[in-house]
Amino acid sequence: MIKEIAQNLVELKKEFTKVYDGKSQIQEVIPILKSEKFPIDDLDALHDFAKNNPIYYNSYEKIIYDVSCMVYEGDINKYWLNSIQYGSSRAPFSPTWILSAYISSLYVKSLGYKQVIDIGSGDGRIAYCAKILGLDSYSIEIDNMLVDLQNSISKSVNVNFNPNCSDAITFDYSTFDLSNPVFFIGGLAQMGGVALATGILENIESNDVKKNTGMVLAGTISQKYTPDPMNHAGWGTLIDKFALDVIDTVILPAVWTFRETDDTHYIFTKFPK
Amino acid sequence: MTSFDDISEMFRSEFDKLTNLLNSTNIDSNLSPHEIVEIYYQIMNMSSMNVMLKQQLDSDDQKSLLDDIVETEKLISEKFNHTMHPQILEKLTQSIQDVTRNLQSSSSGQKSKEDIENEAKQYEELREKMSTKEFVEQYDKGLSDD
Repeated sequence: MIKEIAQNLVELKKEFTKVYDGKSQIQEVIPILKSEKFPIDDLDALHDFAKNNPIYYNSYEKIIYDVSCMVYEGDINKYWLNSIQYGSSRAPFSPTWILSAYISSLYVKSLGYKQVIDIGSGDGRIAYCAKILGLDSYSIEIDNMLVDLQNSISKSVNVNFNPNCSDAITFDYSTFDLSNPVFFIGGLAQMGGVALATGILENIESNDVKKNTGMVLAGTISQKYTPDPMNHAGWGTLIDKFALDVIDTVILPAVWTFRETDDTHYIFTKFPK
Repeated sequence: MTSFDDISEMFRSEFDKLTNLLNSTNIDSNLSPHEIVEIYYQIMNMSSMNVMLKQQLDSDDQKSLLDDIVETEKLISEKFNHTMHPQILEKLTQSIQDVTRNLQSSSSGQKSKEDIENEAKQYEELREKMSTKEFVEQYDKGLSDD
């Protein structure tokens, strides 16, 4: 069911790309009502996140792919400027879609994970989605301007998804109450994600909880990037190096795939027992 | 097989393109990223051609072409590498700083949809300039390594 919803979202995005005639830097859609294609109970909470997120400056209703949707138009340029000015980020902020964040959180919940740690969390959308799904969520972001944004959203929507301003590579994860955690690595393999994931994996190497830990890795098969010789959308070499088991791959739209034919590959992996 | 005459003709045609390009370039004006890339492309094109031809030319009857190659190298070294290239890099750096400062000082208050979308164009220009600067810096690194 979750993979069907993901496929429907990919189709919705394809249609949206064809009909969108706006000029905004970033844009995404969220269905307004629960439907056969999107049997989701938490849609209102997803709209709450978008409406209380200052990166979006405009929204309007539109029927796309026979689904009544809200289109959100936004701009993240100032966050990009901040990240390049201070060199604080390993990769500039470029979020996944809110509904993609929700679907991937739903998927890790279905796999039995209890805690979500969103690394390089940007505006905190994955941590937020995990929280509204009843998981414990933690958000780690190195850029203080983005953490301020997360705190402001968290306050407005009255959902505490635990924003932390810190370097995820050196962070002490034993301070969190983790039993069955999953780490979402922000950043494509090809855009600094491998370095970030390597740092996290080395960090938790000696942690007792490692055997119950999952990793969600975002990659692309776009020909703009040199393919990884071991595939998995850029993650094959890292997966092999750390002997991770691949559970599944779910393809979902993100801001950076709006004009791309291929959407983002989310690779769900875990440490072998 | 390409004859020596063909090679000479091709060399002179590319040399003319380069001299025209350098003579028509006003460094004091704001060169667009496209103009900058076009100049560097032609410089790199001529430099590669010089290296390749010098390896192939050996007889006295090819001396005039060899002289032209030496003249081209001098033009690239003196007029471009030591004069125009540092100025282009400096102006690009300055322009990036100016645009960045301007965008940073832009008020963070309430903005209309049009204001945000117009400002986004400036961000696009900034990205284009930064990527052009990276390209120019790569050329500069090549000079340092020589």
